[in-house]
Amino acid sequence: MNELIAVSTGLLAGTITGIVPGAGVMVAMIVASPLLMSFDVLQLLLFYMSLASMVQFTGTIPAVYLGIPGETNSLPAVIEGTKFNKRKMAKLAIGICAVGSVLGSLVAVVITYGLLSVLIEHMTVFFSNATKFYLYLFIIAFCLLVYNKKNVLVNLSLCAIGFMLSVPGESDISSDFRYTFGIEDLQFGIPLIPVLIGFLIVPTIAKMFSSSNSNVFLPSIDIGFCKVIKYFRKKLIASSLRGGLIGYICGFVPGVSTVLSTNASYSFEKKLHPNNPGKLLVASETANNSGQFASMLPLLLIGIPITGSEIVLYSMLVDAGWSPYQFDNVTNNADMLFKQIVPWFVFANIVGLIVAWPLAKKILNLFANSKKYMIAILAVGMLLLNTYLGILDYRVWLYTVCLIVFGCIGLLIKKYETVPLVFMFILGNDMEGVFIRQMLI
Amino acid sequence: MRKLIATVILTLFTTISMAQTITVINSGKAGGSFNARTQMYKDGLEAAGYEVKFENVGKISQAVKMFKASDEPTIMVYANNQVYKQDLFHTEDNFIMAEYQQPLYVCRTDTSKGKIYSLTVAHGKGYDPTLLTKLLGDNIILVPYKNSGAMLKGMLGGDVDMMVNNQGKSFKYIASGKGSCRPSTVLPMMVATVIGKNIDISILRSILFDISLDTPFMEYHTTRKLVRPSSTWEKELAVVQTLEKGYEVK
Repeated sequence: MNELIAVSTGLLAGTITGIVPGAGVMVAMIVASPLLMSFDVLQLLLFYMSLASMVQFTGTIPAVYLGIPGETNSLPAVIEGTKFNKRKMAKLAIGICAVGSVLGSLVAVVITYGLLSVLIEHMTVFFSNATKFYLYLFIIAFCLLVYNKKNVLVNLSLCAIGFMLSVPGESDISSDFRYTFGIEDLQFGIPLIPVLIGFLIVPTIAKMFSSSNSNVFLPSIDIGFCKVIKYFRKKLIASSLRGGLIGYICGFVPGVSTVLSTNASYSFEKKLHPNNPGKLLVASETANNSGQFASMLPLLLIGIPITGSEIVLYSMLVDAGWSPYQFDNVTNNADMLFKQIVPWFVFANIVGLIVAWPLAKKILNLFANSKKYMIAILAVGMLLLNTYLGILDYRVWLYTVCLIVFGCIGLLIKKYETVPLVFMFILGNDMEGVFIRQMLI
Repeated sequence: MRKLIATVILTLFTTISMAQTITVINSGKAGGSFNARTQMYKDGLEAAGYEVKFENVGKISQAVKMFKASDEPTIMVYANNQVYKQDLFHTEDNFIMAEYQQPLYVCRTDTSKGKIYSLTVAHGKGYDPTLLTKLLGDNIILVPYKNSGAMLKGMLGGDVDMMVNNQGKSFKYIASGKGSCRPSTVLPMMVATVIGKNIDISILRSILFDISLDTPFMEYHTTRKLVRPSSTWEKELAVVQTLEKGYEVK
């Protein structure tokens, strides 16, 4: 019964978190912390697993319909999902994403079961600087060669802007503050949300307004669940399995985990099928779920959290009586993983599949019937979200100034794909540290 | 009847006005030790009858800025390894108590045993390189990492031969079985403290000291094997002030 309570609350929290743009697993964990104080170790793990799984399902809905990334790992879903929406195929996109997500989770469970002893022995390889170094080289090459009709010069400029925006504040390797221009609030860097809104959402809203087609939220063709399964089995299964495998491997990389899973899988698939949004979408979404499971394994097996939300979970686990040192308890942890966590994890994924479908339909109806209002609500919502997060971060004026500046630049460069800029902004600081360490080692 | 109502209202208002308000600044991120300690002090102060105004800042630099600007009764958990970077030193006016202390550890991989030259040493980005070379010799390559967790992962991933890290991460490394660690007698001791302003330090010290002896705090210290320096306020301050000089980056 206790397990069911933990899973149910995790699923509910995940559903809400996925739909609210900008609210990630870490935010949900912090918001839910008063409730979680009464949970035991197993309940905490089940809550987290259910929450993180459900977010992957429902997070696709705003990504596909609104072009808003729920989290930084939703960028491929935004890029490819909106293509489906334009073709009135949003329901199909949600459907294949949901099926792909379930498959991704199952792939991750099967790989883990099959390779458990090898994983335990070699898990720390993924922590090495060299692994990150080569993965980052791959991402840079991807950014330069894929976007904006493969215009390297444009992509290079966007990457450079993104990197420059990541520079102010404290670097990854020095405690000195740099390029703050005497502004104390810049010591903590340029905030993420105004960058995402300015360079991704403002251009999208502008395109919505300038579009000759007033029907921005297109009514989607109704496709039955069985047809989605059939379509998935015939056309997408190979991409999904590839994504699952790549996502699983990348899931172990500390700090970037599922962000890397989705984007690396997306990049790989783009090389194979550059003009097939279905395959690209499914590959990245499958990778997301398998990466999510893989990212939990260092924490579950050897007690090392590798993502921000896991650090919050780790602290709660220790408070609930979990020993912080798990290296001598790996066998018991593996036992707990397969006997007590995996069955509930599979259950959470099946619920996610069932819930994402009708939820998408409800949201679609809402958008299709009141599109102009929805654009206005979206714009005001983003403004409020930016202000609210600014207040929480005690830097509201910087958030506001950044939103205005980046929003204006976003409008000026709206004809370009700004994804390379956003990538480099998010990863730039960590990338710099990795590259410098690689030269030293 | 009127007198009774007036008395009740008066009592109510008197009680409310007597509940002292105190600002507790949380300078730590969720999941970190500063955050966990702050939450426990907050709960303890509320249980002791204080009305706590909780400022969940989450960043040490921003928290220090808020602390310096505060003109209300305010406390904040702090540590002596931050003083130079944040330009906020422990003084008679702000020091409340030392909560625990822990040495820095020097860890080494088993695979690097026998290696003498060009040893790669992971260190936190705030550490003084001259102090590290004084301890470990000139023939080392210093590799900076973002924080203690990143250092541990780098060490486990095989990036470096050695690391200088805090007690918690060093214990984890020992538990991994991939190498050994020893506490350093040369590198400065880290002391976790509580500081405050616009308060009666002796009263707050007494209350916070009691809170830090409560079960949650004791469990927190025991699981992490943290040593508590029990002493007088004057002696604790003197020790903290002496040890914080070791963190000056020359």
